[in-house]
Amino acid sequence: MANDRLDRWLERRARGLARGTSRRSFLARLGTIVVGAAGLPLLPVARASAGQREPAPDEIALAGKPEGDPKRCEYWRHCAIDGFLCACCGGSQNTCPPGTEMSSITWIGTCKNPADGKEYVISYNDCCGQSVCGRCNCTRTEGEKPVYITPKNNDALWCFGTKSRAVQCSVAVVLGVATESS
Amino acid sequence: MTRAALAAALLAAAPAERAHTPEIDYALHCQGCHLADGRATPGSVPALAGTVARLARTPGGREYMGRVPGVAQAPLADAELALLLTWVVKRFGGPDDFAPYTPDEVGRLRAQPLVDVAAARRALLENDVR
Repeated sequence: MANDRLDRWLERRARGLARGTSRRSFLARLGTIVVGAAGLPLLPVARASAGQREPAPDEIALAGKPEGDPKRCEYWRHCAIDGFLCACCGGSQNTCPPGTEMSSITWIGTCKNPADGKEYVISYNDCCGQSVCGRCNCTRTEGEKPVYITPKNNDALWCFGTKSRAVQCSVAVVLGVATESS
Repeated sequence: MTRAALAAALLAAAPAERAHTPEIDYALHCQGCHLADGRATPGSVPALAGTVARLARTPGGREYMGRVPGVAQAPLADAELALLLTWVVKRFGGPDDFAPYTPDEVGRLRAQPLVDVAAARRALLENDVR
């Protein structure tokens, strides 16, 4: 019974379609679809999905673990950050805002992730090349050392090796689990 | 000294932070400036890649690497620092027969930090004929 109803409905739709469209317009539309489909793989979206992008350390170490709010100073991986949070400045917890350059030279510490209780190695990179962001200022000092131990101090401006020394904000990139020696 | 007393003495001498693997210690204490692959940042940081391997084969290079500021001042106990330095030499192409640094050796070297690092490095690498 259901099949009969479906048959009748399909027939009505097919007849209606045949009445309402000319053969020429059908061919024009079909042509558009064929040509368009051929062009689809050329679009940037298709290229991005086909490319084998190497996952960032963040994505490997933290896969499947609940994250927090990277716009908050209390966010776990900000435990020793000092500066404006890039997540509030057009970037994210591990990417710089457009128009800035991430300093490769940085200071590195560890933070405990409450999701699994493990210590992670965190790289605090400054994003350089624009004036200060001014939003979400955050200063935390777990494991930080005084300024005379420069490599472990977060008061320093870490825009080294960048085109500009103007700092806009700071990111907290997870490099991996801080494995302890056995 | 009994074994327990020795263990207590070692614990007292160790820094508050727990010991990590040399690879993690490299990330925590070296990589911030020397980067994961040891390449130079021109004008700011000299390269480890290429340089460590040469220094490891140059007379005086072994001692130099134990006295550079980043090594001498690293917040690590002598034993951890010895493991880390040995790991760095292997990681950046040092010879297979490079004898591991010992904690005593590292303790001696770091007690005499270099004052003019760039001059010391230049002198060593210019004398290296390879």
